[in-house]
Amino acid sequence: MTTLFYLLGYLALLGFICTAFLKIRSYLKSSPLHVRWELYPVPHEGAKSSYGGSFMEEKDWWRKPRHIEHLGDIKALLFEVLVLHATFEHNLKLWFRTYPFHVGMYMLMGGIIIVFASVVLQAFGLAPDSGLLVFVGNVINAVVLLGGLCIVGGGIALIHHRKTDEGLKKYTTPEHYFNLGVFVFFGILALLAWICAPSYFVMARDFMYNMFTVNFVPLPSTFFALHLLLGFFLMIWLPMTHMGHLLMKYFTYHDIRWEDTPTTYNKETKRKIPDMLKYSASWSAEHICGNGAPKTWLEIATTNPAAPKNEA
Amino acid sequence: MRNTLQLTDVSTVEGQMTSIDLSTIPTPVLDMATMPWKPVTDEQRNTTACILDDVCVLNIPKPKDRAEEEALVKKFVAGMRKLFTTENNWPFLPMLETSMDYCAQCNSCSDACHLYEMSGGHEMYRPNFRSEIFRRIYKQYVKKEPFAKWRYGDMDLNWKTVVRLAELSYRCNLCRRCAQTCPIGVDNALIAREIRKLFSQELGISPRELHEKGTMHQMRVGSSTGMTPDVVKDNVEFIDEDYAEITGVGIHTPFDVKDADILLLHNAGEIMAWPENIAAFSLIFQEAGLSWTLSSKAMAYDGVNYGVFYDDAQTARIALQHMLAAKELNAKKIVIGECGHAHKVLTVIADRLIPFEYQVPRESCYVTLRDIVMSGKIKLDPARNNFPVTLHDPCNVVRLMGIVEPQREIVRKIAPLFREMPCPGVNNYCCGGGSGFAIMTRNNIEQWRGNISGRKKMQQIGEAFKECLGPETKKYICAPCSNCKGQIREILEHNDLYAKNNFAYGGIVELVVNAMTNVNPGYIKWESEE
Repeated sequence: MTTLFYLLGYLALLGFICTAFLKIRSYLKSSPLHVRWELYPVPHEGAKSSYGGSFMEEKDWWRKPRHIEHLGDIKALLFEVLVLHATFEHNLKLWFRTYPFHVGMYMLMGGIIIVFASVVLQAFGLAPDSGLLVFVGNVINAVVLLGGLCIVGGGIALIHHRKTDEGLKKYTTPEHYFNLGVFVFFGILALLAWICAPSYFVMARDFMYNMFTVNFVPLPSTFFALHLLLGFFLMIWLPMTHMGHLLMKYFTYHDIRWEDTPTTYNKETKRKIPDMLKYSASWSAEHICGNGAPKTWLEIATTNPAAPKNEA
Repeated sequence: MRNTLQLTDVSTVEGQMTSIDLSTIPTPVLDMATMPWKPVTDEQRNTTACILDDVCVLNIPKPKDRAEEEALVKKFVAGMRKLFTTENNWPFLPMLETSMDYCAQCNSCSDACHLYEMSGGHEMYRPNFRSEIFRRIYKQYVKKEPFAKWRYGDMDLNWKTVVRLAELSYRCNLCRRCAQTCPIGVDNALIAREIRKLFSQELGISPRELHEKGTMHQMRVGSSTGMTPDVVKDNVEFIDEDYAEITGVGIHTPFDVKDADILLLHNAGEIMAWPENIAAFSLIFQEAGLSWTLSSKAMAYDGVNYGVFYDDAQTARIALQHMLAAKELNAKKIVIGECGHAHKVLTVIADRLIPFEYQVPRESCYVTLRDIVMSGKIKLDPARNNFPVTLHDPCNVVRLMGIVEPQREIVRKIAPLFREMPCPGVNNYCCGGGSGFAIMTRNNIEQWRGNISGRKKMQQIGEAFKECLGPETKKYICAPCSNCKGQIREILEHNDLYAKNNFAYGGIVELVVNAMTNVNPGYIKWESEE
């Protein structure tokens, strides 16, 4: 049973990596080149970002060197991820519920990374009772308590909001409740494990160390085991749901909303456009292919469907 | 009805699905009457599938029997499949897929939408309403995901769903204000456009003003206005003569000059409806000593490209012709006149549709004009513009291209009583005529613009002038976009706001010419002066 549990742990990790990889690959493979679809303000436009301006405000902009202030993008994305700025600005009622929920998740996710770092340090010889690891342990224990409370509180508030808000109710499906319910249960189990054991950190660190060293030692707490089991499920399930925005937000912001690089400055785009025009489209409307064979986009773009037939 | 409306009603309700109760819509600052919906005629009811609400944009023929109903659904599903393939939709697929898969259904976008607000919060106008119907159909009938009904919600797919979804895609101005508010980066306006595209490209269903009378007409005769190259040249010559007399300055608009620095691309609608705009451009460019020209080549004297509102093939075809015309004349750059969607199509969208060797650099006229005004090449007296002025931000130029300040620099310099509307710049609201609505007529579309889509803009205009709304003060609404002007004109005329509030409206070039010291005073006209 213990071995199976650890195997599920490896499987969850592998599952998360695979589903995340597949999601990202599917996005990147959906089109080698998409049109520009930027939406201002774009934060890498330097001083112009403050009012939503762009390089296209400059006379003969194509003659000037292109400046992209990457720090602006990073700052804006971090602000959005850490504060949920858009929700705060446009949906305050929801923000009061979803912010604690997200903060709770960030705390637990951040906690996992810190615990992993401790395991690496331990593997390289740092004593488990060293001052540093004791300090880290205290931090993790505090983070898990706070994070668990936030997930449970935020999750319940979100379920309640979805059930009672007339506008939201119509757009809420059973899966929404299921996802939130699983997170709430996950948080409750984290709290129970925290309460029933001397140190959550020690349990988490030992489990991870044992996984790392392939040493399948039974878990000291049933609550902790159930908490992990649900965590394994979430690792695989999460990227398959709309909550996969955790991974895709980078692309929706950087590759779509803020991607304003003109072809003038991009050799790769210059090279790709003719290739894209070789794709064959099979749209059936009369002014495209009609009932005929598929046509390349080049053929389509250079055909005039309104011209008399002999001139088309 | 507005609060009880459910997503599944699109496939279950018999007859007209919903109606906007005009007694519940917000009252703007200006004295605007509601425009009662004209009832659907018996003939329409029997022959066309006008079954969504009080408006009918597409006039889709009503299926005559079960076989036709099924054929419609089958074609729709086939189109939906194509929409999600790289070959058929490489320009937009990544944006579409992310908007389909990652919406958290939080409805943060609702309050950003002027249609939702001005319909009194009608459920149908939530930006997510049509998207969610489209998503459910896609997951259930095209992707056929396991547990799709449980995961995403059930949606019956029949001819009524298809027809109503088509109409729903035309209850959006594609202004993308909703997308700006989305924490995840979902774009419901894009989904509306993709639905329009599916219907046009697969089923051949689109509004006649955009397709037959729009892009097809432009490709047939040279301009959606119907003007042929010869007619355009004649009309512009008349404009030159007329406005030389009005301004006291000789005007010559050049055509087909080789090797000019600038090919100026007007919206040809200006030639027909707002000749003062054409004359003002010619006058400013001439007085500034620019090397410039218009083209008399078919399609290239009309900057409009309605394809961008509903069809990728038409978009690419017209954009290509615009570029080729500039190449043939060996123009150094294309300057796009006061037309918002022409700005976006040619500068942003065509940037990755047209091979680079066929591209000619494109610049907004706001930028060119800013350069002229700030350079001192023309003599300007701001005192001539001593009346309150407000500035409308066309969505395509401002929110979607980030061109915010050049037009403001001009207005600040030449209009001492300039004031911003609430929510200026990239947070602007659509004029109400966006995405082709400004040129559409029939089946209560005018009523829709007056009652719903154009109301928020008029509320903003009212707020901007709130301390001087009376007829004793002349006021100027500067709307530097042809479609926006058309929409604003309609509301002003219908509600007699020219007289009640002493408004004049127009573009930015008219305001510049009005301040030019070598031009006869009074280029901008108010009804009260005529």
